Amino acid sequence: MTTPVISLSGISKYFGTLAANRDIHLNVHGGRIHALLGENGAGKSTLMSVLAGRYQPDDGSIALHGREMRFTSPAQALESGIGMVYQRFMLIESMTVTENLLLAAQKKIGGSNCRRLISETAEQYGLAIDPDKYVYELSMGERQRVEIVKLLLLDADVLIFDEPTAVLTPVEIDAFFTVLKKLRSADKAIIFITHKLEEVLELADDISIMRKGRVIISTEADRKQISKRQLARLMVGRDVVLRVNKEEIPPGETVLRLRNFSGADVHGTTRFENIDFEVRRGEIFAIIGVAGNGQSGLVSAIAGLTRADSGEVSFAGSTFNAREWAKAPKDDMAYVPEDRYHTGCVGSMSIAENFALTQIGKYRKGATKLALDWQKMSEDGTRAVEEFKIKAQSAQDTAQSLSGGNLQKVILSRELSRNPKLFIAEQPTQGLDISATEEIWQALLKCRERAGVLLVTGDLKEVLSLSDRIGVIFNGRLLDIIDATDSDQIGRVGLLMAGVTS
Amino acid sequence: MMEDIVFIGQIAIKSSVAVLLATIGEIITERGGVLNLGVEGMMIVGALAGFAAGFATGNPYLAIAAGAMAGGALSLIHAFFTIKLRSNQVLCGLALTILGLGLANFLGRPLIGEAGVRIRAFAVPYLSEIPYLGEIFFQQSPYAYGAYILGPLAWYVMFKTRAGLVLRAVGEDAAAADAAGVNVAATRTIAIWVGGLFSGLAGSYLSLSYTPGWKETMTGGQGWIAIAMVIFCTWNPLRAFWGALLFGGLTALQFFFQATSIDIIPAYVLKMLPYLLTIGVLVLVTSSGKRRRSASPADLGVPFSRES
Amino acid sequence: MIRLVKKSEVTRYSGLNSVAIAGFIAFGTGCIIFGLLGVNPLTAYTVMFKGVFGSFHSFSEVLVKATPLTFTGLAVAVAAVMMLWNIGAEGQLVWGGIFAAGTALFLLPEAQPYMLIPAVLVTAAFGGMLWALIPGVLKARFQVNEILTTLLLNYVAIIYMEHLFYGPWRDPAGFGFPGTAQLPEAAHLLRFLGTRIHLGFPLAMLCAVGLFFLLNKSSWGYKVRVIGKEQKAASYAGFNVTGKTLAVMAISGALAGMAGMAEVCGIHYRLQTGLAVGYGYDGIIVAWLAGLNPLFVPLTAVLLGALFVGGEQLQSVLGLPSTISLILEAALLFGLFAGKAMQQYRLVFIRSDSIPERSPAGRPE
Repeated sequence: MTTPVISLSGISKYFGTLAANRDIHLNVHGGRIHALLGENGAGKSTLMSVLAGRYQPDDGSIALHGREMRFTSPAQALESGIGMVYQRFMLIESMTVTENLLLAAQKKIGGSNCRRLISETAEQYGLAIDPDKYVYELSMGERQRVEIVKLLLLDADVLIFDEPTAVLTPVEIDAFFTVLKKLRSADKAIIFITHKLEEVLELADDISIMRKGRVIISTEADRKQISKRQLARLMVGRDVVLRVNKEEIPPGETVLRLRNFSGADVHGTTRFENIDFEVRRGEIFAIIGVAGNGQSGLVSAIAGLTRADSGEVSFAGSTFNAREWAKAPKDDMAYVPEDRYHTGCVGSMSIAENFALTQIGKYRKGATKLALDWQKMSEDGTRAVEEFKIKAQSAQDTAQSLSGGNLQKVILSRELSRNPKLFIAEQPTQGLDISATEEIWQALLKCRERAGVLLVTGDLKEVLSLSDRIGVIFNGRLLDIIDATDSDQIGRVGLLMAGVTS
Repeated sequence: MMEDIVFIGQIAIKSSVAVLLATIGEIITERGGVLNLGVEGMMIVGALAGFAAGFATGNPYLAIAAGAMAGGALSLIHAFFTIKLRSNQVLCGLALTILGLGLANFLGRPLIGEAGVRIRAFAVPYLSEIPYLGEIFFQQSPYAYGAYILGPLAWYVMFKTRAGLVLRAVGEDAAAADAAGVNVAATRTIAIWVGGLFSGLAGSYLSLSYTPGWKETMTGGQGWIAIAMVIFCTWNPLRAFWGALLFGGLTALQFFFQATSIDIIPAYVLKMLPYLLTIGVLVLVTSSGKRRRSASPADLGVPFSRES
Repeated sequence: MIRLVKKSEVTRYSGLNSVAIAGFIAFGTGCIIFGLLGVNPLTAYTVMFKGVFGSFHSFSEVLVKATPLTFTGLAVAVAAVMMLWNIGAEGQLVWGGIFAAGTALFLLPEAQPYMLIPAVLVTAAFGGMLWALIPGVLKARFQVNEILTTLLLNYVAIIYMEHLFYGPWRDPAGFGFPGTAQLPEAAHLLRFLGTRIHLGFPLAMLCAVGLFFLLNKSSWGYKVRVIGKEQKAASYAGFNVTGKTLAVMAISGALAGMAGMAEVCGIHYRLQTGLAVGYGYDGIIVAWLAGLNPLFVPLTAVLLGALFVGGEQLQSVLGLPSTISLILEAALLFGLFAGKAMQQYRLVFIRSDSIPERSPAGRPE
């Protein structure tokens, strides 16, 4: 093989006492797609941020075309032709596409030929974008295209993508793969961070797998030799079977029923319209959709955090209109919110204190009910730590000292302890590693034995593994509800997510 | 009647210059994503430095420059603490005000009652001869003419140049600007410093031109009013003029009623009006602006660091 | 390997360390200023120290100053715990003073002490509360920035107070002196041990303890702290943010109002200039130096009081301007920032075989 475009040797990076990357060696070649595979927290994003100049390595060196380089900022890395598309797009939403590109282009291109360059580059790689649109008007797929054009305008020949398909619809993913292939034939070196095994097998020419901050294997992809199962095993370090034992439970009475439920999210921008469905005890009803299709507004209206505009809600035997519902007592409803760091918990409070967040009534004591029972709070927190094997010294640890998976377990155990009739889980395993995902799935399945579960997610695999019935939301509307046992229909879910109804 | 209006107009402009300059400065700072509540402190230090330099040298240019530089110097303290140490911006701004007022009190004591340089109004040829308008707008202190130019200039730089693009980018989304190769810390430091220069300049207007002389209470909350006006004019330097004029107009009315001893509104109520009206304006802007896409820089008050 | 890194958790005594660093920086700043003034810093600090601890009487003056500072410090702290910035303690203090003086002079001029003192207390707290509720309502109802409203209202309050004692409330027998008549003796707060320490001091200590239990032990305080730390979590949990905003502003204003009452009924015995001397703003420094902990507020109030008394000594003994204490005060606050920043970093030793078990706090990969 030719000399690698990028050669990392002995890279280490620490955050505090934690070593995110340890002694990493990696070669990346031009005209090839290099998949960097690993669980969440394995250190992939950190490594790539080091390569892209965002972080400074604490040890080791980076060689570009055989020459040793040292980047102290993303700008320097870009100048040398290394560009990265982050998971959170680095675009300024209140500015137009052109303004964003001009900003990144430094002084290299002026306003007049910027437009020409944009359309030329866009055409060459099949990246259609409207240069005059504001970024906040664009879909996630379009934003990604802007990011790619940005790097291409700067003549980047190493392009790093951090979980690029996480926010895309299945149709957008296909288009994105086509672009990647075109970039490969233009002799660009492409690094592709992911934990989705299918994507690796479909695209990658080279595969590196990271675990606990180290690259444990780096090899050419030979599709005949490598199986998904092997990759998963390498990634996690043990055999994983993401198959859950789902017992048949006959559905019980209806816990929640929505009729013509319409409203908007907190910002008032993304709407949901005329939603009808019901959730019964003993089942997991899933709402699946790509982020931004109205599901987050729908969930917060169901949970009573925002007020829906119209419609009817029946919950545990009583019926409310949209206004009454926002104020109705919801003690029998538990809710695990999507944002576990700032909504589901208070980071600087202890696990025990966080246990009282949604059930403070349970811990009031004294004649005036003004005082709090700290003892009981602490006991409950400790019990949860033991029961859910939460990695913490004690229930007095702050929530922010926990990893995402452990934090989610704290929130989950708190909500379960409320003994709800309806359990709402919003993106419950997003960003969690495989073992935490497994545990949370088991807990949800167990919960369905005594409650109705409403699962809102964008993860097709999660839905297929857990749910009994599946509602697909697109553009604020519930397009269809599909029975999970209906093998003829289940294949339509992916298409429905992209809005294809026929 | 017309004479009265011209009189009120003239004083309104005269009284609004300091607020106008300080507002423009704070808009620049906040567009870069940094809240600097130290305007009052930077103004009073600018006023003192301007007066002291004028008193010592007799040179008005040096006096103006000293005023601006003093405000700029104080603002760099804010830059160091908020950018380098990532201290809380609200608290740091308050500390800056306390420091500025303390310094002015302490250092200015010997200068009380002294007479220094006086920058007088001067009529702009031709323009000042326009009936009424000329009298109102073009028989003012050179500071006013400076402010007429600086507002539009700030607007032009902010929205029509690359420097402005960089400034706004840093204020809207520092991480994205950083990824695009912008030096966030440097940009923000400059934005704070320029804001400080404007505040210092505004202060020196008070001690050199508006009410020549030195008194440690001479800013009287104008710095705070300027910060409120930033919200009123939705971070647009062109609109700063209207915000400042509102303040100036009320001050002028106060003078007018005093001069003519018309006693419709008691003097103390008139004195309160600029503050009360500023609050009223804040309420109006905040409650009406809720539904629109917020004009406030999205990263305002958020410290930036790549590795936090 | 040794590195300077960000701390993931703040150690238990870090608050105290920050204050120590703040004190050190203020001390250094003082040395520079004294040096520039041509005074030996050692002499200056000795004068200040003697002025504060030299006699029982001088130290009692520190406690006299600490009384309003404790009240305003608590006022700022209770709001700040909920991330509300009450910069208007000065104005609320003024209204507390106005209401106290009004009650004693016009409402119940003939009343006995056992009647008048509680009446003065309640009305002063009520006055401060009303004034604080204006920005409170504007914040709760229209989300108007409370920093600016509380601050601007200070000017309004002071203008109104001046109007009162220059105008309708001016002492007719005062020979044109700007101030009201002296309050009836029944309204004078009890003084202790022949000093100027008055009933306001134990009252302030009581408020500090009460506020500590309210904030840290009660379910109400729990909710307030959650709102202050993570507003999104608070609305997720269904806490009534609007109601708490009003309640916290009311408590904050009432505390500041008590400061005004303490000054009027404990020290001046009338409404006059010199009531609004900046205790409201000093309260910000007191509260943050105390790390917003009500139990520490009296301590930092004493610290600041000592600074003021020491500053006055500099003036009377060495002829230096007493306003030097204003600069030292600001230096304390900047020192606190520096201290906090230094607390966030530390030297660590990294063992090369330590394996990460969890991603760093707040940074999900």
